[in-house]
Amino acid sequence: MLLNRENSGERWRKRRDGKEKVTGELRYLTDMTAEGMLYGRVLRSIHPHARIVSLDVSAAEAYPGVVAVITHLDVPGLNRFGIATPDQPALCEDRVRYIGDAIAAVAAHTPELAEYALSLIHVEYEVLETITDPLRALEEDAPQLHPEGNVLHRTSVKQGDANEAFAGCAHIVRETYRTPRQMHAYMETEGGLFVPESDGRLTVYAPTQHGYKDRMQIARILGWEEERIRVVSSPIGGSFGGKDELNVQPYGSLLALKTGLPVKLHNSRKESVRAGLKRHPMRIEMETGIDLHGRLLAHRVRIVADTGAYATLGAPVLNFATEHAMGPYRIPHVDVEGISVFTNNGVSGEFRGFGGNQAIFAMEGQMDRLAEKLGMDPWEFRMLNRRQPHDPGPLQQEIWRTNGLYQVMEALEHSTIWQRRQARLDAGIEPGSFVAEMSSDKDRSIKSQPPWIKRGIGAALAMHGAGLGYGIEDPAGGRLSLNAAGQIEVAFSYEEFGQGLIATMEIMLIDLFHCDPSDISIIIGDTDRVPHSGSSTASRSTTMAWMALQRLKVPFLEAILQQAERLSGIPAQELTTGIGGIRRKPGMKDIMQPESASNLQQQGQVAESSSNPSHVPDHQIRVYHESLSIHGHQASASNAGQGSEQITSSSDATGELVISYQQLVAQSALDELIFDTHFQYPTTPDEVMGGHFLYTYAAVAAEVEVNTLTGNVRLLDTYHTVAAGPVINPMGFIGQIEGGSVMALGFTLTEDSVMDDGHYMTKNMDTYIIPTIQDMHSSLEVEAIEDLPENDPFGPRGIGEIGSVALAPAITAAIRQAAGVWVTHLPVPRERLIQPLGVGQQEGVSPR
Amino acid sequence: MNRASMNWNATINGKERELEVEPSRRLLDVLRTDLELTGTKVSCEIGRCGACMVLIDGEPVNSCLTMAYQCQGKDITTIEGLHGDKPAELHPIQEAFLEEGGFQCGYCTPGMIISTKALLDRNEQPDEHTIKEALCGNLCRCTGYGGIMRAVESAAVKCKTRTEEPSVAE
Ligand code: FES
Ligand code: FES
Repeated sequence: MLLNRENSGERWRKRRDGKEKVTGELRYLTDMTAEGMLYGRVLRSIHPHARIVSLDVSAAEAYPGVVAVITHLDVPGLNRFGIATPDQPALCEDRVRYIGDAIAAVAAHTPELAEYALSLIHVEYEVLETITDPLRALEEDAPQLHPEGNVLHRTSVKQGDANEAFAGCAHIVRETYRTPRQMHAYMETEGGLFVPESDGRLTVYAPTQHGYKDRMQIARILGWEEERIRVVSSPIGGSFGGKDELNVQPYGSLLALKTGLPVKLHNSRKESVRAGLKRHPMRIEMETGIDLHGRLLAHRVRIVADTGAYATLGAPVLNFATEHAMGPYRIPHVDVEGISVFTNNGVSGEFRGFGGNQAIFAMEGQMDRLAEKLGMDPWEFRMLNRRQPHDPGPLQQEIWRTNGLYQVMEALEHSTIWQRRQARLDAGIEPGSFVAEMSSDKDRSIKSQPPWIKRGIGAALAMHGAGLGYGIEDPAGGRLSLNAAGQIEVAFSYEEFGQGLIATMEIMLIDLFHCDPSDISIIIGDTDRVPHSGSSTASRSTTMAWMALQRLKVPFLEAILQQAERLSGIPAQELTTGIGGIRRKPGMKDIMQPESASNLQQQGQVAESSSNPSHVPDHQIRVYHESLSIHGHQASASNAGQGSEQITSSSDATGELVISYQQLVAQSALDELIFDTHFQYPTTPDEVMGGHFLYTYAAVAAEVEVNTLTGNVRLLDTYHTVAAGPVINPMGFIGQIEGGSVMALGFTLTEDSVMDDGHYMTKNMDTYIIPTIQDMHSSLEVEAIEDLPENDPFGPRGIGEIGSVALAPAITAAIRQAAGVWVTHLPVPRERLIQPLGVGQQEGVSPR
Repeated sequence: MNRASMNWNATINGKERELEVEPSRRLLDVLRTDLELTGTKVSCEIGRCGACMVLIDGEPVNSCLTMAYQCQGKDITTIEGLHGDKPAELHPIQEAFLEEGGFQCGYCTPGMIISTKALLDRNEQPDEHTIKEALCGNLCRCTGYGGIMRAVESAAVKCKTRTEEPSVAE
């Protein structure tokens, strides 16, 4: 279905958290203040690599208005952080490894005083060689940045015998691709408020993608029990992976505890650029061979990722890139090796797409080049080589089977943009040249276009893993209750950074309980109030929230309907939830529901069903049926399916009111109406490190206009088709794909955090160029493929990343068609696209 | 640190305000810190992103680049002042952003809405080109601008209806 407001019906809803955003009333965590609070500032290294010879903070400490100065000596616990491997000093002891490394921090009565105090801190450095190139880092005589050396992580995938297979290839394409150090550029920079409480606890109000993980890391730094810390982590002014790791939290926490006063930190943009994570720049060599008929035979890949000074999630990012370097294709002989290398260039880490963007750009580039060598249509070439539905995953692991790949390929083939490309080719119009047929096309009169304006259309494909992958703890869960205020309350440890999680949950709850939005309470982003349900990363929260609710709804409904029966005398079977309270079911009338809602319920029943649908391998069932633990009532996976037919139709919403939720809760024991579930995100049963089980599929087509006088590339049209299961929240879905797409446009054409000798040259938004509304065109289409195989138990898949992973290769293919240039470096170097204006090479040259 | 303060006054969202501030204090800080009007956002502090956009005498201005003395005695409107006397009732532009999904994280939204207000006050029926020109100083990292474009187009229709039939909304 082409997604837009008109096609969405009632599911197009104003966001629950929207009003306070459009009025400016919403207090972001960086807007918060507290009585008597201090302002914190962090002193960061001025050298990308140096030894700290001496550090003197006495002048700063003595300055009037300065309340505290902290250094590594003030860290009571582990002076390190890092989600996967804690190797980054909160406050450096004797060495700095990048320009954002923190050495000291100050709390003072005003921001100006705190800033001034930083200038009073005296640091003596001994400058060391700056490693700016990962290849230099790998040389034997390079300085070693960490005790284990300069290699963070290596990956390797070998299938068949690539060396031998290359010898038998009819065509081989070799290319080296490079991708930029993209910045998340969330509009709200890092910051927060840190409040020491009178009961000896600490409250941290600071955005993050996983409050519990921050709590664990902060506790480790403070040497505290985790429970003494409360982390409030939503709402967030954008993250895209960038706020997943700790940023200002160590300094805020330590300063608040040292001073006993609330401390506020809010990074300036410059500091955010200097200290914050970026996307891993990767150098990807690919060598890919096909036989005479165009079948892929051999594929060799070498990935070098610049992970910067510290680990954070650099290793999983490389795993992900490696897994995605083979694309959704059948290749008998594969030889992929990846290496993630420490340098003194900032810190690279988690970023929407998680290494997929880089690998997919390279792999799809190979596919287009091979198709061209063969003289085959690029889409046909992909169809010839695509994986078959029953093939194992890219790492030969068992994966959950869907038809997503075939569906998106077919949808793209039939899209207007691709049809337009075909029509032009069929008409024998030379790629890149302009044609009259287009004058009728969306008002794009091109008849009068000058010869240096050239157009082309390209497409690309993505198969993108969701969840953290095999071998990484990936807990999920949630809580459903009727709260003291008489509201149906869900609580998850997921975060709202704009993606629309709250809106999606509201729609899920209305689907399940036919209640009014005012009957609902949604609790997220507060470790004191939500259960452990894992992180909001890796496109996982929508699926996890949905699966958790599928598990929780049955015992929850059973409990509240039984309670209503007890109070009203009406048998529970005749009751249902609805607007305002428990209502009498309208007789066995016919069921009129929006199709998507009934689909959801159908899948819900299956998810809870204990019977194994015959075509589903046993272990695939196991992964999502383990550990359903429900407090308050005995319930298990085996009886969980029974109650689902209690949700019958949306007319339930308005049947005769039997008892309001408030009345019901007033006469019940609250703890009998609370249900928890814990489970794991579905992972592949095969022991393949980082291997995924659930994949989402997307195909993207783009039309560009290249100006060969200036080298400028303009995007004219984009088409995204995504197979991610039922669309719960169409507004959110479109927003994620459009937002991801435009972010990928920046990755492709303009964005790069340029570094010189370990220093950022692009320090703010004036030189770091993200797309503006001028770069956007009116014809971005999003087509959602909603159907899943019968009995698919995982429901809607997350789409937070998939919109951003495949646009770059579609654009570079379009550039090739328009201007005849193969682009291998991103952002696209404009100078590569500038061409002489049809002036003969010899012109102006005359013999003497 | 002891620079001379001035007795600064301005009309902010229809109310007379008076403060002791340094003449060079940024309007952004006056609003966010001194007056706790945190609807105006801070992001780049160099006039590039528009998160801090306010109206000064009806003109859209980046408050991070405006010093107190420069807006002495002026009429300043921030996002908090857009819905006029009836706080419960949203301005049609705000309504349009809500209906069309013209925001996600919402951090760019106040500035975006202020710039839209300035645009629609000047031009009731802006075409695509004019909208893009008016909003290209407002960066949004979340939406990809699709929802924003739709919201502004719909806001234009709403605002026009409102001026034509004042009884409907007032
Ligand atoms: S904060 Fe003023 S323009 Fe960015
Ligand atoms: S909605 Fe997040 S920056 Fe615009």
